[in-house]
Amino acid sequence: MIHFPVNEHRQPRVDWLMIIAILGLMITGALFVYSATMANESAALTPWYNQAWVRQIAWYTIGSCAMATLCVVDYRILARWSLVAYVITILCLIAVPIIGVDRFGARRWIDLGVFQFQPSEFAKLSFILAMGNFLSRPLDELKLMRVFWKAIGMIALPFLLIMKEPDLGSALILLPVGLTMLFVAGVPPRYINTLVGASGILVALILIDVLFAPPQWQLKLEDYQKRRLLTYFGIDGAAANATPAQKAEARRTQRNYSYNVDQALISVGSGGLMGKGWREGTQNALGYLPRAVAHNDFIFSVIAEEKGFMGSVTVVALYSVLLFTGIRIAGQARDRLGKLLAVGVVAMLFSHVFINIGMNIRLMPVTGVPLPLLSYGGSSVLCSLIAAGILQNVYIHRRS
Amino acid sequence: MIVFDQLKKNDPYLRALTLAVLLGIGILVAGLWWVQIISYRHYTENQKSQSFRTVRIPAIRGKILDRQGVAVAENRPSYNVSLYLDELREEFRAEYSRSRQPQWVTNSLPFWKRWLGFNPVKKQYSKLTIPQRRALEAQVRYRVASNVVQQVSTILQQPIPFTFGDFMKHYTNQLALPLPVLVNLDPQQVARLLEGAANPPGIDLEIQPTRYYPGTNLAAHVLGYLVRDNRSLEGEVADFNFRLPDYRGHVGIEGEFDAELRGKAGVKSVLVNSLGYRQSENVWMAAEPGKNVVLTIDAALQQAAESALQSAMAGVVKGAAVVMDPHTGDVLALASSPSYDPNLFIPRITTEEWRRLSDEKLKPQVNRAMQEKYAPGSIFKAVTGLAILEAGIDPAEKIYSPGFIRVPGRNKPIEDLAEKGEYDFKKAFIKSSNTYFITNGTKAGIESIIRLGQRLHLGEKTGLLSSQETGGSLPKLVDVRRGWIAPDTAYICIGQGRLDVTPLQMAVMISAIANGGKVLWPRLVQRIVPADPNSDETVIQFPTRPPRDNLGVSERTLAITREAMLADVEEGGTGKAALVPGMKIGGKTGTAQITNPRGQIVGHTTWFASCAPFENPRWVVVVMVEEGSSGGGTCAPVAAKIYRTIQKLEAEERPSVASNDR
Repeated sequence: MIHFPVNEHRQPRVDWLMIIAILGLMITGALFVYSATMANESAALTPWYNQAWVRQIAWYTIGSCAMATLCVVDYRILARWSLVAYVITILCLIAVPIIGVDRFGARRWIDLGVFQFQPSEFAKLSFILAMGNFLSRPLDELKLMRVFWKAIGMIALPFLLIMKEPDLGSALILLPVGLTMLFVAGVPPRYINTLVGASGILVALILIDVLFAPPQWQLKLEDYQKRRLLTYFGIDGAAANATPAQKAEARRTQRNYSYNVDQALISVGSGGLMGKGWREGTQNALGYLPRAVAHNDFIFSVIAEEKGFMGSVTVVALYSVLLFTGIRIAGQARDRLGKLLAVGVVAMLFSHVFINIGMNIRLMPVTGVPLPLLSYGGSSVLCSLIAAGILQNVYIHRRS
Repeated sequence: MIVFDQLKKNDPYLRALTLAVLLGIGILVAGLWWVQIISYRHYTENQKSQSFRTVRIPAIRGKILDRQGVAVAENRPSYNVSLYLDELREEFRAEYSRSRQPQWVTNSLPFWKRWLGFNPVKKQYSKLTIPQRRALEAQVRYRVASNVVQQVSTILQQPIPFTFGDFMKHYTNQLALPLPVLVNLDPQQVARLLEGAANPPGIDLEIQPTRYYPGTNLAAHVLGYLVRDNRSLEGEVADFNFRLPDYRGHVGIEGEFDAELRGKAGVKSVLVNSLGYRQSENVWMAAEPGKNVVLTIDAALQQAAESALQSAMAGVVKGAAVVMDPHTGDVLALASSPSYDPNLFIPRITTEEWRRLSDEKLKPQVNRAMQEKYAPGSIFKAVTGLAILEAGIDPAEKIYSPGFIRVPGRNKPIEDLAEKGEYDFKKAFIKSSNTYFITNGTKAGIESIIRLGQRLHLGEKTGLLSSQETGGSLPKLVDVRRGWIAPDTAYICIGQGRLDVTPLQMAVMISAIANGGKVLWPRLVQRIVPADPNSDETVIQFPTRPPRDNLGVSERTLAITREAMLADVEEGGTGKAALVPGMKIGGKTGTAQITNPRGQIVGHTTWFASCAPFENPRWVVVVMVEEGSSGGGTCAPVAAKIYRTIQKLEAEERPSVASNDR
């Protein structure tokens, strides 16, 4: 498996550009997790090994090791085990509602004693592997309706299970990833068009139902999910015949729910061109940006406030390097499996970046989607680095 | 660029993917541009308005000084104990966890969890709904704060009322500001608090300048008082979240010169966190202290005038005394009785005190020297006398008085308190003969008397503290020419009828007689000086104004009148009680009848108007007492006391009391 290219100058073993981008993101992540958490006086009192930024660096280290380990094994061998990984993931997802632990009102974690892990994060990876493996069959087979439905089923199963947790954000990520992989694999466009069209209509119908239909006709969404949607669309949800007091109450609730987004927007907007300086951001230090989310889902607000437009564009540029090197790796892949895996990873990373940053500037509704490599959190960091490892793996074993 | 290589390759799928990613990144960058560059100002404003609270800091009020530089209104430090709630947050937290005792519960765990070593015993808190939690938090905060207040109360040995309602009001409205616990500590309490090593947390001793009138009632009507008012003056920053207690001058000098005395309020910004607790403070704009106002009043003389007035009669004296420099118009004393203590208004007047100050009969708030009008009575005979002499009537010519005078058009004769007999000008003046002045005044003509009144600007305000002044009333020439009957003239000749004046106007009148005919503008404020004598701010001067008018009578007329006034005091006239050894005083008494609508006499307004020394008058003293017995009996002794003080002050090596501060 391991072969030694003759001309090492033109054929480097790893994609250094991507490694640099990842390093840049990890340094940024450590710096701003520090900034976001150390503003709190009580955080400074916790022992150093329990501080968020130290833990984040520990996860970076573990993730980097996982990434390096992953590169040793050819992705084709990994793909052979993908079905096993997929099945284990599905079992974990089924287990979450039974043995999982609650945090922030959702049951997404499994307690392993040492740490709590989030199966939905790893589900994304095993899904990419399994889907890549499944779609790398001969092109003719992909034209069969039976194969297409199987692929749809592979998307739907984890999607519904994650949706059930509830983790709308992670579930939604599976859709663009699956669709992109189907598209690049060469599934006839009419299937995809039908699928996109159908799901588009479905989403639109759900939205209309949730936002405007009378209560007895509405889908049973979790209350907070409905709130987030209402918040995003700026509807206070008061009935047309409500009394002024009820309407005021509805508006007040809506303001409470939109608080996070409003504060994130103020953080980003008040950063201006150059920002207020590292650890100088007031939104986070004074607690306007809720401390519970500042270092994970809303880490981008902290960066944007403290480093301004220059900082946020730098972050976006680092992600761009990561994504475009990923696409280039897809183009250079030895086989369709490699190309599909690379495309799947790129689609996953891109969806995370777009949804998370979009949420910080109110382009997207609030869904708990972390920003890869920057947001605090072991599962997310580990997954992102493993995903990058898959890309490197495809690159190392590219066609010569 | 190297990463775009694949675009050139013939792979439509990847090309589409690249375009999609590029588009997505473009949207993000555009969105960021919009939020961070285009809308920067908007979001910065939002951020500021939610995290900064501006606090208005009142400036130190300027002093009011008398002509010798003695402060009659100044500031003294007031020591207040404040509680900084943000320093109690740890205590709040600790108390909260104390008041929520956890329960230890044993859960039944599935076998595999027990096998993995999970502890079935767990700490659990009883669940609270959000309103329950809020209520508990509020209770906890109040408990902690009230404990601290209790400790302060023990240290200061004074009970401090502190209710839940007070606390919540402060907590919801003014969290960014310290909570005032106790204001106006006495020196012992300050010492106890300062030496106490075990002061409770969050407690701070603050010094706040507070208005103070060292003379208590001294010149209260001139100085005015302050009322609580935190509003911004025009031209100041008006947009504050919080305002520290401030005062506005209401009447008197405090009211009239409020803008100068008040200074310019400063701005302090308090950075608050998302819970509204104070994080840090920063003074954006320091307050500029107010300017000092220097009066023409002489505090010592004012004090003398006030106590002399008090002694006019038994019981509460309702009256006024004015001391004026007849050459400049400087008001040296302006007393009004009953008076009040303007200190009572700091920090806030009690309802009971206010009721006392609003007494319908006593009217302690009214400045009787200029805010109330009275019939001048016989002191107006000085003016009638000027008209008689100017009309060419020989002062030596005698008139017989039968003790009353019949006036055509009036059934009842007008009484004359002077005994019957022959009267020339001087005798008529010192005995205050109605018969003489009505007879000769009518001969001189009402129009000439009215003209003199007009030149004295009776019926008009003098412009001193305009909001507290009345102009009085004087018939117009038009009135005199139409529908005017003989009794009307008769009454004007003896200072009654359709004529009302203020004691201040009478001081101007006597000054004109004393200084050779110049009708002066009275002056109360000399200058306004910056609080810091070294500052390069300009001193605003209010120089003596050129005379307002001239009596237009001959020097001979004035000299005869002055001699008659001197005789009234020194030659056994009605004003003999004003006699002061070593000082030649000229005066005229007056006792005006106050009649009810049915024409019955219900009381007397008594007067004594004078000037001294005779050779070159430097002081004019006018005393008026309501419901006195007579001008000579009630008011002349008051004037004598004032003159004696002047004598004493002159003897002291003080800069001349009447020195013209020019």
